[in-house]
Amino acid sequence: MYNNNRTQQGQQGGGKNRFYQRRKICRFCVDKDLNIDYKTPKALRQFITERGKIIPRRITGTCAKHQRQLTVAVKQSRQIALLPFVGRPMY
Amino acid sequence: MRKYETVFIADPDLQDKVRIDLYEKARNIINKEGGILTGFDEWGNKKLAYEIKKKLRGNYVCITYGGSGSLVKELERNFRLNDGVLKFMTILLSDDVTAEQLEKEVQDAQDAQDESKKAAETVKEPVKADKPEEETSVEAEKVEETEVKTE
Repeated sequence: MYNNNRTQQGQQGGGKNRFYQRRKICRFCVDKDLNIDYKTPKALRQFITERGKIIPRRITGTCAKHQRQLTVAVKQSRQIALLPFVGRPMY
Repeated sequence: MRKYETVFIADPDLQDKVRIDLYEKARNIINKEGGILTGFDEWGNKKLAYEIKKKLRGNYVCITYGGSGSLVKELERNFRLNDGVLKFMTILLSDDVTAEQLEKEVQDAQDAQDESKKAAETVKEPVKADKPEEETSVEAEKVEETEVKTE
């Protein structure tokens, strides 16, 4: 039973309970031209789930600074109805 | 001077005249309070991500301008009172901008527009220039033929 609990926890963490994790690169740090703008919901759509929730950065691989900017942009976009608060985005 | 950007959503069912009056009002407020309008971008009718006041579509407009905080207050007050504006959002872009920088931006935007218009016109011109050249060459050939015959 003890073993079962441990594997379940590992799966809940997205299978990242290993020694070696693939280092993901932040796509905004690599490509300086990509601008995080609340006016482009199409670009922001990659960082929200089907339900409209913001994806955590350990899954997308963005760095902390850009994740903060992304969060602000998504929330601004939701304010003016370019992205939904809940539900599928239409793009 | 501070640089602001305001996105507001106008009622899509408004008549054209009323809508244009609304835009003019916004421009007038900016000019009256001593602000500088650098950009007026109308995105047109777009589908909203959620219902606002029971409406599913809205007319988006994005304006960038320079001014003081009191200008923003006045603008927002007018948007709040107006029934034709469904939603608005103002964002501070930068804190320290001089009037000359803003005017330069306006000028640059104007130049870019003029250049794109000129580029569109020059594309049309070569097409027209080819035709008269063809006609003159045909005429020249005819003149040569007649000259030979007369000789």
